[in-house]
Amino acid sequence: MGRKNGETLIFVSLGVPTAICLAAFAWIAGSLFTGIGTLNPALLTTSVLQGGYFEMIMGTIYLLLGAAAIAGPIGLFASIYLVEYARPGKITAIIDQSINNLAGVPSIVIGLFGYTFFSKQLGLGVSLAAGWLTLTLMMLPIVIRGSEESLRMVPGAFKEAALALGATKWKAVSSTSVSGAAPGIVTSVILGMARVAGETAAIIAVSCVLITRGLPKSPLEPVMALSYNLFVRIIALGESAQEVFGIALILFAIVTSFAIFGIVLRTYYRRKQPWLR
Amino acid sequence: MNKMSSLGISTVIATVGMVVFLVVGFVAGYYISMGQPSGSSQAFPEDSAWRSASIKLSGSTTVLPIGNGSAIAFMNKYNATTVTVSGGGTGVGYSNILDKQVDIGMASREPKQTEIENAKSKGVALWLYPIALDGVCVVVNPSVANTSFPLNLTLQEIGKIYAGMYTYWDEVKTGLPHQQIFTVVREPGSGTRGTFEEFTMTPWKYNVTTAANTRQSNPEVKTTVENTQYSIGYVGFGFHVSPNLHTVAVAKDNLSQYIIPSTSNIASRTYPMSRYLYFVTGSRSISGSLTARFIDFVLSPEGQQIVESTGFLKLPETP
Amino acid sequence: MKDEPITLLLFICASFSIIILFLMLVFVAREGTLALSQFGPNFLIGQTWDTNANLYGALPLIYGSIMVVAGALAFAIPLGVGTAIFVSEVLPFSVRDIVKSIIELLASVPSVIYGFIGMIMLVPAVAYLFGLNSGATALTASILLSIMSVPTIVGVSGEVISAVPKEYKEAALGLGATKWQTIKHVVLPISKSGILASVMLGLGRAIGETIAVLMVVGNVARIPTPFWNLLAPVYPITSVIAIQMAEAAVGSLEYSALFGLGLVLFIITFLVNTLADVVVKGKVGRREVSAWVGKMARR
Repeated sequence: MGRKNGETLIFVSLGVPTAICLAAFAWIAGSLFTGIGTLNPALLTTSVLQGGYFEMIMGTIYLLLGAAAIAGPIGLFASIYLVEYARPGKITAIIDQSINNLAGVPSIVIGLFGYTFFSKQLGLGVSLAAGWLTLTLMMLPIVIRGSEESLRMVPGAFKEAALALGATKWKAVSSTSVSGAAPGIVTSVILGMARVAGETAAIIAVSCVLITRGLPKSPLEPVMALSYNLFVRIIALGESAQEVFGIALILFAIVTSFAIFGIVLRTYYRRKQPWLR
Repeated sequence: MNKMSSLGISTVIATVGMVVFLVVGFVAGYYISMGQPSGSSQAFPEDSAWRSASIKLSGSTTVLPIGNGSAIAFMNKYNATTVTVSGGGTGVGYSNILDKQVDIGMASREPKQTEIENAKSKGVALWLYPIALDGVCVVVNPSVANTSFPLNLTLQEIGKIYAGMYTYWDEVKTGLPHQQIFTVVREPGSGTRGTFEEFTMTPWKYNVTTAANTRQSNPEVKTTVENTQYSIGYVGFGFHVSPNLHTVAVAKDNLSQYIIPSTSNIASRTYPMSRYLYFVTGSRSISGSLTARFIDFVLSPEGQQIVESTGFLKLPETP
Repeated sequence: MKDEPITLLLFICASFSIIILFLMLVFVAREGTLALSQFGPNFLIGQTWDTNANLYGALPLIYGSIMVVAGALAFAIPLGVGTAIFVSEVLPFSVRDIVKSIIELLASVPSVIYGFIGMIMLVPAVAYLFGLNSGATALTASILLSIMSVPTIVGVSGEVISAVPKEYKEAALGLGATKWQTIKHVVLPISKSGILASVMLGLGRAIGETIAVLMVVGNVARIPTPFWNLLAPVYPITSVIAIQMAEAAVGSLEYSALFGLGLVLFIITFLVNTLADVVVKGKVGRREVSAWVGKMARR
């Protein structure tokens, strides 16, 4: 009995860190929601020139979609290589390690590189395209690892069957493993987008401006983004806390809905893939 | 096999969908931003080129609210023009003008010697257009001084504080608390910092102490000094009024009067640290161009109203 | 054979990471050469970082980064691991997913917002609690960073702990062990390496965080006296780069010095990452670590 009481004490004290985490979340969520008073649906579709947030929201979405369109295929092909074609050895180990290392590069260093390479060296300047390329660097490890995992979960039997029927390796892989892993791959792209949506440090110098007219008419034009706008409003424009939290709430909503959408998609398709059980 | 190819197809649909969304977005962006040019373009067709033109501004974070506010007002008034504004700091403003990356640089100080020399070597003629008046105000936390016990300092005394020659407040003047001075500075490229140091440090060749705390903008300095006991900082005129700040009365030297910054003191340049805020161009603006018209707008009563609303001073009426 | 071009394409895509890392090294180093060659080893051990005097000694900045990260880990490890154990072992099934999702949501908050909240709430709180003039200190940044790193640690550790086969736990319980004894002597030893991996991932997250930190850390380029004083302002490398990058004229010594700092940061994180992977891979296995990297990759 004495042991049981001691144990209860231990479990209760383990609950303290959890309580702290939940309290932190409540604190942040509560602060964000003080901004809800400044929001109304009209703001989402009104131009920034009339005090709305339309172009900033679209700008963020543009950045995300473009980065996904680049990181998606490259990441997919990279993961296919790693799962289906790579032979164990030094080179494969280095490739593998590099992906983890790329994931660990601080966002500000990626921003520095993006500025000196994409903006200056490749002459893209402050543009949507430079932003896409920079954000791709951050999304790539997530897409590769997520796709890898999905590919490994598809039973090899399907691929073997295709090979036995005479298909070339690529045909076999693409029509079986990749098709089977497709939902997981899509999910990892979506989760990747959720991760970089709030990114500020990397895109400050390479793609964003504070105000301009309308949406970019080509990828070589700069873009207004929620995260950058938030940063400037806090730092340089000294806006009220409520307004800032209002915009933050929009960004938070975008990130969360991407994340939820990705997870829901994954769960939905899991049910359709009996071989995963 | 059928189930799997349908999953594969849905992936393809998703990717195609994203690309279509982007393309539609660009086209929509093009059309949304192409408003109908307003005004009398029919009456004076040769006047209309600027109405659909586009210019870029970058530079000082102090001037940024003016740039931002006037860009919005201007674009709403002339709804096919494009005025793009970003920040970066006065240093970036000047270097962007020198590299011909922007049409107008926003600056809260005059160009430094190195910038003038760079301009000469690049064949760029710097034109400075004053668009607003500002005073660099020195503020302290109420724990140091307040209206009952106001603080008066000369430019050199302020310089010494920032150079670290005084580390405790009672070294500066007797009667002040025996507490360490918490100095707040702006980032190195800041025009506000440049102006401040030009008045308080350069004449005596002082260097800012490395113990100074760096903040990135006027609002940040203001918040820091408001919330930090025994602190001192400098801000633009629009940021010094606060129940949690005490503004220091500044004198040119200890034979002159101590002046508290006010609209009239700054306008008459009696306040020692008055300064102009500038739009800088890299050549004489072509009359009738969008650049010239935008600068005209900011100098017009409507534009000067925006200047006032962001906390700065209108340019004084020319006598 | 027909497959050759495809295989090559796939290989190139896979090598992208190596190519990018290489390019990063080259280009960041290239921009940093001016400053690095001018100051030599003094760049790293020099104690004065003074832009106006064009003196660039990064020691206080490096120390600032170390201090903030060490502090963050000191908070994040007990917070994260404790929460992970509690959520995975103590909480009933029904509540478990909800709590996990809430903690995951902490990771979706943009870092700018963390910084803003820290600036307007945490900084004054720290000043009040410790009777300081200013609450913008290394401690404040550490607290903020730990909250930001916790979802990573909880997520991965939680997964590792949940993955301990039921049979082991049932066996222990069957032999008469209490729940806590089972956790302490069965679950934790098995999960140890996975938990270590999660801490390493969290560490990587903390080193690289820029925006939130710069708003609360004080930004003073000096090593605090005494050197373990968390209640003093410091200037981590990431803050310096972010603040001064926007201001530096392209091609100037200042510009080059910032890239030099970027290079230093790049090399440090590269080493930490490689070390972490080597240490953990040996125990846990390559595949598991890679999967976690994918799920918990940092910003």
